[in-house]
Amino acid sequence: MPKLLLIEDDDITAAEIASDLRWRGFGVEIAADGIEGLKQAREGSWDVIVIDRMLPGCDGLTVLKTLRGEDNKVPALILSAMGHVDERVRGLRAGGDDYLSKPFSLVELAARVEALLRRPAASRETLLRVGPLELDLITSTATRGQRSLDLLQREFKLLEYLMRREGQVVTPAMLFEEVWNYNFMPRTNLIHVHMGRLRRKLDGPDETPLIETVRGIGYMLHAPA
Amino acid sequence: MLRLDLFRTTAFRWAMTAAAAFTGLSIILFAFVYWQTAHYERAQLDDMLRHEAKAIADDPGAAVAALKAWLRDDVHSVRYGILATHDGVAQAGNMPSLPKDLWPDAKPQYATTEAQDADGDERGERIRAIGLNLPDGRTLALGNDTDALEHVSVVIIRALGLGLGPMVALSLLGGALLGRRALGRVTVLSEAIAAIREGRLSERLPLTGRRDEFDRLATDINAMMDEIERLLDEVRSVGDSIAHDLRTPLTRARTRLERSRNAVTSPAEFAAAIDETLGWLDQTFAVITAVLRIGEIEHGRRRAAFQSVDLGQILVEAAELYDPIAEDREITVRVGVDQASGAIAMGDRDLLFEAVANLLDNAIKFTPRGGHVMLSLVERDGSAVVTVADDGPGIAEDDRTRVLKRFYRAERSRQREGVGLGLSLVAAIATLHGFRLTIGDNHPGCRIELVCPGSTVAVRKGGPITSDLVSQGAI
Repeated sequence: MPKLLLIEDDDITAAEIASDLRWRGFGVEIAADGIEGLKQAREGSWDVIVIDRMLPGCDGLTVLKTLRGEDNKVPALILSAMGHVDERVRGLRAGGDDYLSKPFSLVELAARVEALLRRPAASRETLLRVGPLELDLITSTATRGQRSLDLLQREFKLLEYLMRREGQVVTPAMLFEEVWNYNFMPRTNLIHVHMGRLRRKLDGPDETPLIETVRGIGYMLHAPA
Repeated sequence: MLRLDLFRTTAFRWAMTAAAAFTGLSIILFAFVYWQTAHYERAQLDDMLRHEAKAIADDPGAAVAALKAWLRDDVHSVRYGILATHDGVAQAGNMPSLPKDLWPDAKPQYATTEAQDADGDERGERIRAIGLNLPDGRTLALGNDTDALEHVSVVIIRALGLGLGPMVALSLLGGALLGRRALGRVTVLSEAIAAIREGRLSERLPLTGRRDEFDRLATDINAMMDEIERLLDEVRSVGDSIAHDLRTPLTRARTRLERSRNAVTSPAEFAAAIDETLGWLDQTFAVITAVLRIGEIEHGRRRAAFQSVDLGQILVEAAELYDPIAEDREITVRVGVDQASGAIAMGDRDLLFEAVANLLDNAIKFTPRGGHVMLSLVERDGSAVVTVADDGPGIAEDDRTRVLKRFYRAERSRQREGVGLGLSLVAAIATLHGFRLTIGDNHPGCRIELVCPGSTVAVRKGGPITSDLVSQGAI
């Protein structure tokens, strides 16, 4: 069970986040301010830290800077009401590994936490396989079984991102940031439409759909059972 | 209190300063006149004394008679004279002895008489005199009193007094009048400002039409008030607009939750209700986020992150992003950018992409099924011009300027999905970058241009190059 330290001063938000993450199988401890958070972060052994940007006692970025200064390398996700690019940059420079602006959905948070935990596994492999799907990053070719897939460049990147996170929920915001490389939230159904297009290319008439839509949350690619 | 205020007015102070300056100048001028006049008078006197003394000295034998005759001719009793032997005994003249301070060097000078007045008291009078030694050892002294010279100074000081007194008085009066007038204008302006401060924002400062400094100031303040009133109106309508945008999804969420609490029977129905409610909540957050973003962009805090941005690449990527939606709606999106060239602007890549994406989003939203959207990048007068044109219903001419204002939404757009702050956001982004956003007619449809001065343009000249870069799927 991955151990997660949540440093969040609003007790209702903290309780909601903690119970959702516990339900997803995390062991969650809560610290209600920066000083307490820093103390717990130093004392415990954590797999991931989720930290609010603005905290009483000691600001979230200061906590992170202090931890990084002490060579503490636990992956950290910053939560903040300030979601603009320069704020994100400041957060990431202070030692954050990811940044999520409020309001967020719990699934988005969970997906990002999982992504942080799996980061070391995101290998530099050049041949990706998920069930019948095969993606060759060197030759830029994609096949499903014997059928070769005619993918546009962006669809190829989209599929690569999904394949690297097999069995994991990815949200439209994550896709937009990672695949399109723009920090901007477009109309929510834009990604859905792109995903629909990709799906039509992936799934033949009698084939099992590979991309599952997690309703209201995002997408998940998994091999057929 | 009013009197105290009057003395504090600038007009009064200036009048007083001018009066002081004129007084000083007048005193200097009168002193000069006095000096010149006295000099002239003294020179006349000296000439007369020199001339007479020489005449008497030229004929020593007749000196006594000549002196007596000279003194006799003195009808105004202003002359003094003495002819003294070498041991100082007076032979003739109306002075008992030679003035002790007279130097017999034949040069006119001031001396003090040894004359006696009627009471017999010794009384020295200051006179202008000349003394000279005759060849026979006697000494001659002639003198004239200096009353005429003193008279000159009296006349001039009197003239100065007569002139200065009224001038200072008039200055005081003029200063007071000007000060009162200024105070009157200021009072009128103060009252108008007080009315504005009390909340009557449509009040304006009165103008006299004299185009003086007060009128200019009042005109400037009035223009400022127009702007403040406009901004306040805007804020008010922004409040209404945002309240409307927030109230609708919140009301839906509330009613849906309330109804679900009573009526839902299965977990699946609960889940559906919750999903729907979450969607409406997301919509309210989107409004709030957009409002905050516009505020942040308008504060210009993001300029620090400016870098070189390839506008052509942004256009191509935006078109690519929207291509599937356009395809669904059977809308052809054409991009007129030569991929090999482009325009480089200094800016925020994310924001510029957001601006173009918003324009494209609007164009696709309002273009009817089967319509066309054209996205192009051309050079005009050394600036890159990004154009998004569609053949939809367009924007009414009256709405074109209003639609760019913060948070304005044409009534028509309220019927459609989305936050509706798109164009306000684009306008804010354009302003931040120093770009110009214009809305025109595409005959038919809407044509929105983003003119980017200062961008480095390498677009091939001769108008847009049309290519179906990303509309492979378009019908």
